[in-house]
Amino acid sequence: MLLLTALLAIALAACGGGAKNAEDGGSGEGGSPQASGNASGGSSDGGSKDPEPVTLRIAWWGSQPRHDYTLQVIEMYQQKHPHVKLEPEYANFDDYWKKLAPQAAANDLPDIIQMDISYISQYGANGQLEDLTPYLGSIINIDHISENAISGGKIGDKLYGFNIGVNTIQFQYDPELLKRLGVDTLDENWTWDDYYELAGKASEAGLYFDSGFRPEVFFGYYLRTKGQHLYSPDGTSLGYDDDQLFIDFFAPLAKLVADGDAPTPDVKAQVKGLEDDLLVKGQQVGIWQWTNQFVALQQVANRPLEMHHMPGPNREQGLYLKPSMYFSISKNSKHKEEAARFIDFWVNDIEANKLIKGDRGVPVNSQVIEAVKPTLDPALVKVFDYVAWAQENSSPMDPPDPPGAAEVIALFKEVTEAMDFGKLSPEDAAKRFREEANAILTKNK
Amino acid sequence: MSMRFAAWRETLTGYAFISPFLLGFLIFTAFPIAASLYLSFTDYNLFSPPSWVGLEQYQTMFTGDPKFWKSLRVTFIYVFAGVPLRLSFALLVALLLNRASRAIGVYRTVYYLPSIIGGSVAVSIMWRNLYGDEGVINKALNFFGLESVRWFADPLAALWMLITLSVWQFGSSMLIFLAGLKNIPPSLYEAASVDGANVLQRFIRITMPMLTPVVLFNLIMQTIAAFMTFIPAYIISKGEGGPLDGTLLYSLYLFRRAFVFYDMGYAAAMAWVLLTIVALLTALVFFTSKYWVFYETKED
Repeated sequence: MLLLTALLAIALAACGGGAKNAEDGGSGEGGSPQASGNASGGSSDGGSKDPEPVTLRIAWWGSQPRHDYTLQVIEMYQQKHPHVKLEPEYANFDDYWKKLAPQAAANDLPDIIQMDISYISQYGANGQLEDLTPYLGSIINIDHISENAISGGKIGDKLYGFNIGVNTIQFQYDPELLKRLGVDTLDENWTWDDYYELAGKASEAGLYFDSGFRPEVFFGYYLRTKGQHLYSPDGTSLGYDDDQLFIDFFAPLAKLVADGDAPTPDVKAQVKGLEDDLLVKGQQVGIWQWTNQFVALQQVANRPLEMHHMPGPNREQGLYLKPSMYFSISKNSKHKEEAARFIDFWVNDIEANKLIKGDRGVPVNSQVIEAVKPTLDPALVKVFDYVAWAQENSSPMDPPDPPGAAEVIALFKEVTEAMDFGKLSPEDAAKRFREEANAILTKNK
Repeated sequence: MSMRFAAWRETLTGYAFISPFLLGFLIFTAFPIAASLYLSFTDYNLFSPPSWVGLEQYQTMFTGDPKFWKSLRVTFIYVFAGVPLRLSFALLVALLLNRASRAIGVYRTVYYLPSIIGGSVAVSIMWRNLYGDEGVINKALNFFGLESVRWFADPLAALWMLITLSVWQFGSSMLIFLAGLKNIPPSLYEAASVDGANVLQRFIRITMPMLTPVVLFNLIMQTIAAFMTFIPAYIISKGEGGPLDGTLLYSLYLFRRAFVFYDMGYAAAMAWVLLTIVALLTALVFFTSKYWVFYETKED
């Protein structure tokens, strides 16, 4: 019992411990022989001041391949900047945010934080993140980075995160499985109706067509094609008024699940990872997701996959490029300039980006893209080309999600699950979603 | 004077010796408990300092949060179905193991093993796989000509997964039952045999009454533990309590409130409500115990 009542406070205790460790780490580094050796080496150059030894904590989420190359990039940076020591902290997406929030509460955020579009306003608005505007040009070189790419990290007039890769949404599929539905190619300008018709043939062929749509992303796209938005501009309510839009989008999808053309939630819940993904196992034609996820899918499936556009009408109005993730600098960082220097290295260094490839989205620096592209696998080249195409065929993105978005996304998941199990009608789901989402968002007033 | 000094010194020495525990208790238990009580009266999102809202969190919980009631319902089903099953199973195995056999040590170890590893993440993952659409359980059902069950599609079926996992971890109750069985004087059984009582009669008239104090202890401990169950629900539902909130145990919902939605005030209030519920239930069990627990010493 004590344990449970103490559960919340464990967070407090854990934070206290974390802070202490960080201090210990810092002081230990100062006394290390390596650091002092470099300092004396630097002094022989004369003139410039010796750089102080610095320890930076850097945190990100991801899977094992991302951890591996990120650690390599860190190693590379440390070799070039011997006075800097980078302490990595990494986890998967869900655990990452559970760890970051208590760190924020304890004023103990890592110096460099990988940030997501659904959380950046929450952390930014609550004063946890540094405005990066003063570092642009001076420390972070933006000569080859478009204003558009940078502004994706803006909340109001503050730049709370630096875009480290560009993403867009698409349909990724196995052309051989598509043929089993009696179709060789997908129409350039296909519509939602084309999609429903085609997907409806999947169960007859003994396949699933897709694994559904992440609602906060794709319903957002759908609303944009109708000139509406998921969130209101000030983030205090939903951005659309007509529940019919919700019904129009979700009812046909629930029907695909009911007809066996898309997997039920319990089937999806049993997928343990990419290795036993339904598409990878050859039971599903395609998947709707972000461009940067194509490479991993291709790698694990290990057979030719293709990518295709989102359905229309009004695709160009709906489609957008978005920062797949940001690097932010925490307000409590003691070495903000050093942290900015690392971000500069990350986005502008060509050798580093040969390791990063397109895993965090297509690089924002146009020179880096040119230099890296010849070294890439064909699958990655496809991703780079697709994002280049989307650049010309999309509209500006919505502002980053408002605070509370994580709860809205959980609510989305809940109502779509209930619809897919056939336990909730799209009409009731639309109403319930509106009421509960607005109750969450109204707290932002 | 010197006497008082010596006594004082002795007291101080005593406290010095227990100071590691005292400090640990104050810092890691007493302070967090007090802090969580305070937080339950605040609105706290981890980013900005807690702001006092009085009883608002409790009010929302009871009047404006259907999920709270849902999670409570799931938890009650889990506790009231799981604990009796677990205790019956533990008693049954204890009875089987309470006999002389050369390999008895091995058996006891084997049956106790699940409760050592039971709380672990690995077992929960194994459990997911056992109940999968292609898992062993469904294969066994098919073998006997029964239809597969989609355990992850139905809220009650998914909860049943959690209940069977808890029943499987019967080891610690079983050991305590075993100790209780060993304490029943053999002379009682001998006397009963002489009087011609059969096995069932001996069990009902001797074993059960003599065992009631142990049953009481196990009942209370297991009920409290069941209310606090978190790991299996978290792992089996991938942290979400699905399908359709079927495995949204109270502590999982509390955790989601705190660490997914950053709603610490509400989560703290939930923790105190749970404390109250468990305290009331425990008190109820104690109160009724005088009607069904048999204490040898009281008998005249």
